[in-house]
Parts: sequence; structure tokens; C-alpha cells
Amino acid sequence: MFSNLNSNKLRGDASVLDKALLIQLGGSVAAVALLVAFAAWMGVARETPPLDPDIARALIALEFPDHKPDAVWIAADGAGIIAREGALALVLYRRGDGYVARDLPWSAVAALKPTKGRLALKLPDARPVFAVNDDVWPPKEFA
Amino acid sequence: MLKAPFDPVQMAIPFFVLAIILEILIGRFGKAKANYETRDTAMSLSMGFGSTIAGLLLGGVIFAVTVWVWKHRIFTIPMTAVWAWIAVFLLEDLTYYWFHRLAHERRVWWASHVNHHTSTHYNLSTALRQTWTGGVAGTWLLWLPLSFLGFPPAMVAIQKGVSLVYQFWIHTEAIKRMPRWFEAVFNTPSHHRVHHARNARYLDANYAGILIIWDRMFGTFIPEVDEEPCRYGTVKNLGNFNLFHNVFHEWIGIAKDVAASPRHALGYIFGPPGWSHDGSRDTSHTLKAKWRARMEAGEGAPPQ
Repeated sequence: MFSNLNSNKLRGDASVLDKALLIQLGGSVAAVALLVAFAAWMGVARETPPLDPDIARALIALEFPDHKPDAVWIAADGAGIIAREGALALVLYRRGDGYVARDLPWSAVAALKPTKGRLALKLPDARPVFAVNDDVWPPKEFA
Repeated sequence: MLKAPFDPVQMAIPFFVLAIILEILIGRFGKAKANYETRDTAMSLSMGFGSTIAGLLLGGVIFAVTVWVWKHRIFTIPMTAVWAWIAVFLLEDLTYYWFHRLAHERRVWWASHVNHHTSTHYNLSTALRQTWTGGVAGTWLLWLPLSFLGFPPAMVAIQKGVSLVYQFWIHTEAIKRMPRWFEAVFNTPSHHRVHHARNARYLDANYAGILIIWDRMFGTFIPEVDEEPCRYGTVKNLGNFNLFHNVFHEWIGIAKDVAASPRHALGYIFGPPGWSHDGSRDTSHTLKAKWRARMEAGEGAPPQ
């Protein structure tokens, strides 16, 4: 009887603990959601205006300091860069309010076919899409 | 003596929330520099939440091992003595320095720590971008000597919590510099911005928890220079905002490298991040050497 009482009490304590833990976890999830919503509402991300040739060159120099690309192409919407240095493609694409840099063989980039003005690149950890004018690829910059 | 009567981190959570709200407002109204990107913030806060769950899963094992070690202690150190708190403050902070240095300089521990560094922002939410895999990586083993010396597990746990709470406020761009005497002794927003920077100049520096003196003593201190603002994130920034990719990408990278070159497994696991058997990748060391070469070649500071 006592052992039953004790085990019942233990079960009771455990359920109180579980409930407290669940409340705490639920509260944490709600707090995270509210903080994210508040940050979005306040609009305090960095500004990302469309890239121009000067900014594009500066970004490449920053992300690929050991490279001197022969040609640089800026996406039609100004949200990405593809540069070529010999057999290498240097790629920058927008992620959030910043840019991600990757390099890959130029042959892989040259072989891409744009559809409906969009050039989709396959990277190991992302699928960035570049806006292309008139579905012409590679553009004249790489001629 | 065994279980801490309170958890400084749990107690500080309301302060964390209020401080983040305040920093967002400061940024919104242009009173100081503070940028928050929605998905980046979501990832940072989700990492913080997930780390508490991960902590629950392995917390029991870690606690049991710590208690076992303490039961085999050399001395019995009282929790009520002031000298004991001063000693645990210094020794825990020294332990943190070496944990943190290992977590950056050896890939297996970097795999569990890298996700704290993947934000391209530096704000208070970044402080909460905590690891989910620290328990598995076993970095907690480094704190066991304190228990073996005789510091009660509760005392060590409280001091670890104090250190974590201290490190929250230094994740901000809103504070430029603290008074000179403070910058000389303590870890500050300026010192820690350098630690989170991906500029070659700043790599592998300022590992301090609370006291920056350890970096000054062990030669890893680099000051923030105004001519080269910090750019945040990792050398190769994450390509997406996938939470699980952030948590596991380096572990997966290690597994792939070991599977591809089993003969070089030790190098891929315990070598520095970026190490490769054929030298085809860059480590912090090679990146810094290239940066120095560019500076010596007169290319000057990189454009901002």
C-alpha cells in the first residue's frame, strides 16, 4: 500500500514536472515567435539595393581577394553576380540581407540554360536563382 | 553541493528577451548600430531553444559523471568560502578559454561550435545561437578537473552559468568601446566582435569568456581596428537558412571527408578546420598567411 502511495506520489510529481516543462517549452516557443515577428515588423535588416558595377567589383574583391576575374556579370535584378576567371566561376548570391560566395568550374555555369528569365544554379547547399534578360546565357560579358 | 540551487541562465532569460527588444528598438530608431534579419534571427533563437532541449537529453549523463568525479576529489572545497568563489571564477574562465580555443582550432569540436558563428549578423540574438551537439562532442569533459580538484558540481555549474550570462551582452554592435581599463581586463563587445569576424586579419582570436587577460597571456589577442570593420559569419558562409543544416553541416562534412579518405581520418577529425590531406583547402593559418602576403605586396586593407 505504501509503495503504491509512493509510486503514485512519484507519478504525481513527475506529471507536475512534465507539465511545468511543457509550459516552459511552450512559453519559449511563443517568445521566439514573438521576437522574430517583432524584428520583422521593425524592419531593421541591412539595406540591399541592387548591385551596380562598382559595388559588384568591391564585393568580389572582398570575397575572392586572391582572384582577378576577367569578366563580371550582374543579374538583371541586381541581386547576384557571376564572374569568370579562366576555368573558374566566382558566384555571389543574395541570402537574406547579405551575400554568399561560392566558386565552381566555369564549365558548369556556362552549360546552364535559363528558363523564363531565371538561371538556376545547383550548389551543394543552395539553389540560387539569377535573373537573366531575354533568356540569353552566357551573356555578352563572357563572350 | 551537487545540484545548483539556481540557474543563472534560466534567471536571465527575461533579461535576454528585454535586451533583444531594446536593441531592435535602438536599431530601428537609429540610436546605435543594430541589424536584425528575420530568418537569421529565427535561426539564432531556434538554436537557443533547441540547445536547451539538447541539454536536457544529455544533462543527466554529464551530471552523473561530474558527481562521480567529485566523489573522487583531491580536496574538499567549501561553497561558502569567498576565496573558493574567486578561485572557481578564475579557473572556470581559464577552462573556458581552452575549451573555446579547442572548439575553434580542432575540427571535431568546431563541428559542434560552428553554428554559434554562422550568423552574418552580430546582435544579441547571436548570443543565443547555441550548440545542440556540444554534449556529444564531449567538450564538457574539460570542466571535470575542477570537480576533481574539489569544487562542488553546483559551484562549477553556477559559475558556468554566470559566464554564459556575461557573454550575452558582448554580442552587440551597439556598444563601440568600454573604458580603457575595462577593455584591458574584460571581454567586451569590441573584443568579441573580432572573435566573430571572418576577416582573415581577425581569424582565431579572442577566445575569452569573461577575462580577456587569457588571450593576452597566450598570444591570441587581436584588437579591433576601425580601418577594418568586422564582417561576420564563417569563412565560407552558410548557403541557406535551414536550421538542421546549420546544426549538422560540419559533422556531415567530417563524415564525408573520412569516408572519402579513411587513411587521413585523424587529420579530418582532429586537424584544424579547413585541413585537407592534399593541402587543397584553406585553414585559418593559410588564410592569414595569404592576407599578410597581400598586405606586404602593398594591396592595403581590403575594400569595405
